[in-house]
Amino acid sequence: MKARLIAASVASLVLVGTSSLALAQQTTLRIFTGGQQRPDVMRQIVDEYMKANPNVKVEVEVGGATSEQQQQYLNTVLASRDSSLDVVLIDVIRPAQWAAAKWAEPLDSYLGADKEKVMSQYLPAYREANTVNGSVISLPYFADAQFLYYRKDLLAKHNVQPPKTWDEVKTAAQAVMKGEGNANLRGFETAGAPIEGTVCTYTVPLWGAGGTVTDTNGKLALSADLAKKPFELWGSMKQAGILPPNIAEIPTDRIRQNFQAGNLVFGMTWGYVWNRTQQDTDSLVKDKVGVVPLPGFTADKAATCIGGWQLAVTAFSKNKAEAVKLVRYLSSPEVSKRQAILASHLPVFPDVYKDPEVLKANPWFAEALPVVQTARSRPVTPRYNEVSEVVRTNMNAFLAGTKTEESALTEMRNRLGTILR
Amino acid sequence: MSTIESTLAPVAPPKARAKPGLSPIDRDERRLGFALLAPAFLLLFGVVVYPIVDLVVTSFQLNNLAQPWMGTPFVGLENYGRAMSDDRFWEATFHTGLYVLVTVPGAVVVGLGLALLANQPFRVKWPVRLGLLLPWALPLVFAGLIFRWFFEYTQGLVNNALLMVGLPAQAWLTDPTLAFIAICIAIVWKTSSFVALVLLAGLQTIPRSLYEAAEIDGAGKLAQFWEITLPMLRPAIVVALIFRTITAIQTFDIPFAMTNGGPGNSTETLAMYIHKTTIDFLDLGYGSALAVLMFIVSAILTAGYLRYTRRDPSARGH
Repeated sequence: MKARLIAASVASLVLVGTSSLALAQQTTLRIFTGGQQRPDVMRQIVDEYMKANPNVKVEVEVGGATSEQQQQYLNTVLASRDSSLDVVLIDVIRPAQWAAAKWAEPLDSYLGADKEKVMSQYLPAYREANTVNGSVISLPYFADAQFLYYRKDLLAKHNVQPPKTWDEVKTAAQAVMKGEGNANLRGFETAGAPIEGTVCTYTVPLWGAGGTVTDTNGKLALSADLAKKPFELWGSMKQAGILPPNIAEIPTDRIRQNFQAGNLVFGMTWGYVWNRTQQDTDSLVKDKVGVVPLPGFTADKAATCIGGWQLAVTAFSKNKAEAVKLVRYLSSPEVSKRQAILASHLPVFPDVYKDPEVLKANPWFAEALPVVQTARSRPVTPRYNEVSEVVRTNMNAFLAGTKTEESALTEMRNRLGTILR
Repeated sequence: MSTIESTLAPVAPPKARAKPGLSPIDRDERRLGFALLAPAFLLLFGVVVYPIVDLVVTSFQLNNLAQPWMGTPFVGLENYGRAMSDDRFWEATFHTGLYVLVTVPGAVVVGLGLALLANQPFRVKWPVRLGLLLPWALPLVFAGLIFRWFFEYTQGLVNNALLMVGLPAQAWLTDPTLAFIAICIAIVWKTSSFVALVLLAGLQTIPRSLYEAAEIDGAGKLAQFWEITLPMLRPAIVVALIFRTITAIQTFDIPFAMTNGGPGNSTETLAMYIHKTTIDFLDLGYGSALAVLMFIVSAILTAGYLRYTRRDPSARGH
């Protein structure tokens, strides 16, 4: 009796062993992306990858809608060295922090001799953004920059040209708003809620005026007269009623929603909005949208924030080799082209901008390449989360009218000064 | 806690001291008692004692995950010193104090009203009871999101109502005072149902005979409320106050969902600042010190309430 029992348990152990071996050949990879980065499109793309690689199963985990909400979640996962995520889509501002915290598996050894060749295909800005101290931390998934979205139909109706300066934005918005007489129609929106996107609401006019937050050594370099330009610009636009009274509660995606609902003349926002305005069934502005580079204080000195999302393999992944393969696929020209067509995600390869199919889906991409090439980075520092929080909180408080230009600026300088020592 | 005490009582009677003359059966019983207690003790140690000790230890360290090359050196009271000179800590503490001052009495007053309503001899009791339970069962962050939509500038119900009666729309969530009011309304709505449940339980222990006697003595409804209901309800009110105060000190979810601390950081609470410091900025050392400070404040306030209940001769009511 006993012998039979032992035999049976040995047999079952062997069975369990072989079946787990069979399972081990199938690798499951889990990729994390944000709700605003078109997880549906990523799902389509990884489904194709799974078809070509039957031994790999890819799960897509969708996180919060804003960059800092996603990072809050990732901070807890990665600080506890959790291995549940293999690949993570990270904002262009994060590689420095990820490298410092040792959360990303450096990709140099996986790329091997190919490293130079692979990296040289990308737009220079993304080559740099993904390389920290000579080490490749992540590979770009798609590029991004802020553009000026405008209502082609309304501007034409009121005989206004797409503006090239902030002053022209003001006059154009006022002309259209007055001409339309629609109480729901807002003049201009940019991100104003205390979220990551609001950092760009501050830096774009700052850069346009010739200022900068940090110098080349990463030290605070806000000069007094230039640092207040963004406050003056947005303050005057709020005063004139071009920015809505609730601008301080507008996060990035709300700009798209308002624009898509036909309630906005101008929006300062990112590449993904185009596809949504053209393809979403509830869009009221299909074929009524124009996209041009952002204005500046003078027409020849415009600036924009660089955006875009990068693919990092986490240092705690148990399937790093397979994860790197997936990342290299997702960061290929073919996938870049697919994303451009399916989601108006800006390509990270210069050639894809000229692809006829891509241009057919996104006519404005012809003008977008030089914008992406000259777009600027927010301060690069491992303590970026704190820098971002100081800038966005003060910009938000100013837009809400609870802080004056002086008090917002003083607090920004004091707190940034201690962080960027 | 009470379950532990009650299991402790039968297995370890007070006289069961480690006496040499303990019979083998008694010794066995003792061993069994400890064995039965061990899981609960280990669990409590794992989820309460260990984290608190770890928190206190971390609060004396420089421990910043964004700068791992700095290591985790012991820095003594530096993090606490930093808190004392950190304006934002004091602002957050001040906001938290305001939330406590407004929402604790607010929830008790509203909760008392709800409890009295639910205690009425309605023939159909379930609608009122359900109304009491629903806000309580709803996760805090959902309540925050719901109220954020209520107070939203263009699509919100509140502004819609204001416009309908001819008043101007208000920027509820981007004006510091209005945002504070909106958040307090949401918190009171969310938490008064818990208070009401506690008070309802208290109300049902008050003997009917007291009211009958009062009626015979000619006391009106109002006099009955002041002279019978409120004094008899005092222990329940204190319990509700303790729980509500502790949760109010920890206020996080509702302002986080409604304003994320904005505009600026004018609605940021201490718990939100701790969250931001540790989860956003990954500054575990400083965040832990802030958490210890918050813990001390909660402990002092709770001790105050407990002293008050002990002094209270509530036996008078029984």
